[in-house]
Amino acid sequence: MLAAREQIANRVAELAKRRGTTVFQTVNDILEQAVRVEEMGLSLEEVVDKRDALEKARKLGFAFTIERLLYEVVDLADHRAKDDVSEIWLDAGRWYGKYFASRSKDGIREFREAMELLSFGTYEFELRENRDGVISIACVGERFTSAYSGLFSVFIEGVLEAFGYRTVDREVSKSIIRLRFEKPR
Amino acid sequence: MVQEAPKDTKLIVLSSRLVERLRALALRRGVSISGFASEALEQALRAGDMGVSIQEAVDLYQLMQIQKGAGALQVSRESLDQLIGKLYESSGEELRGIWYDAGRWYGEYLRVKLKGDDVLGFLEKALLLSWNLDEVEVKEDVGRVRLRCASFMMSLEKTELLVSYVSGVMFSLGYAEVGGEHLRGMALLRYGKVGNR
Repeated sequence: MLAAREQIANRVAELAKRRGTTVFQTVNDILEQAVRVEEMGLSLEEVVDKRDALEKARKLGFAFTIERLLYEVVDLADHRAKDDVSEIWLDAGRWYGKYFASRSKDGIREFREAMELLSFGTYEFELRENRDGVISIACVGERFTSAYSGLFSVFIEGVLEAFGYRTVDREVSKSIIRLRFEKPR
Repeated sequence: MVQEAPKDTKLIVLSSRLVERLRALALRRGVSISGFASEALEQALRAGDMGVSIQEAVDLYQLMQIQKGAGALQVSRESLDQLIGKLYESSGEELRGIWYDAGRWYGEYLRVKLKGDDVLGFLEKALLLSWNLDEVEVKEDVGRVRLRCASFMMSLEKTELLVSYVSGVMFSLGYAEVGGEHLRGMALLRYGKVGNR
């Protein structure tokens, strides 16, 4: 016998009903799988968190791409149509900025969380909001090319522009993006 | 079977075999069986709310780990599509070459990483996820592979890049294209095993 909180037990009973199976079968199936996951050296919570993160990214209109492929295309675009492509990413940034701003009063925090989520461990993203209303963003991607750093920085500027900020300091080079923003007085 | 128990708890019957495995695991983690089981049930319910089973969540997790190892990152689909649209007319062939090379690299990566462990089955899932496709089917039959990809949203340019990418992957896996066709949002491709690859 397993003692489970009433609320969990009731939800499991509902799940069993939806699946058209018994509570016994459902609980035993779940725990069998949970044991298997743990025996594989994984954490069930992390597994479910990752699934959740992927769904959030999908809803935001993001998709996986191979990193080196993206950089090659961006480098090509940088040579062939730099201004046009910058405009596209600036517009995309503005769109996401409006999206986050319209979603909640703390849209900046949502943007920061989304960027951390979407980095997928490929780059480090840090956003700091100072008391005087200055926002500092640092993004470090070991494999970022100069062209990609440039384009990604333009995307971020588009987001912050939609929140009413203007860029006051900009340092963009291969692998590193550092930006500072202020609200016009 | 759920039986009433005191203080906002219910008793759930478990198989004795499972209890033994739970006991061993809980002991290793230094938690009680109830604590471990409750956490597992909560996570399973979370996954259920997302419309997936634990098994599906685990499969996806493993797929994402391999994708991460292959250097995958998340990018705005719209921005990438517009970028491709901007370049495709003047540099289509170059782009197809970039996608083919990326596919070749990815195919080699899968071959080495999975060591022949249902690479085509993995590729089916990876294409579905990475290319945001609606349907992917990869069928192998005595050295021949039929591959079908469908997306209701994909542009012709992106479909052509997908074909180049898949051909690159398949080449690295030891297959050469022997036929096929594609139109906007759909690719039907056929590959044959190449001698010594």
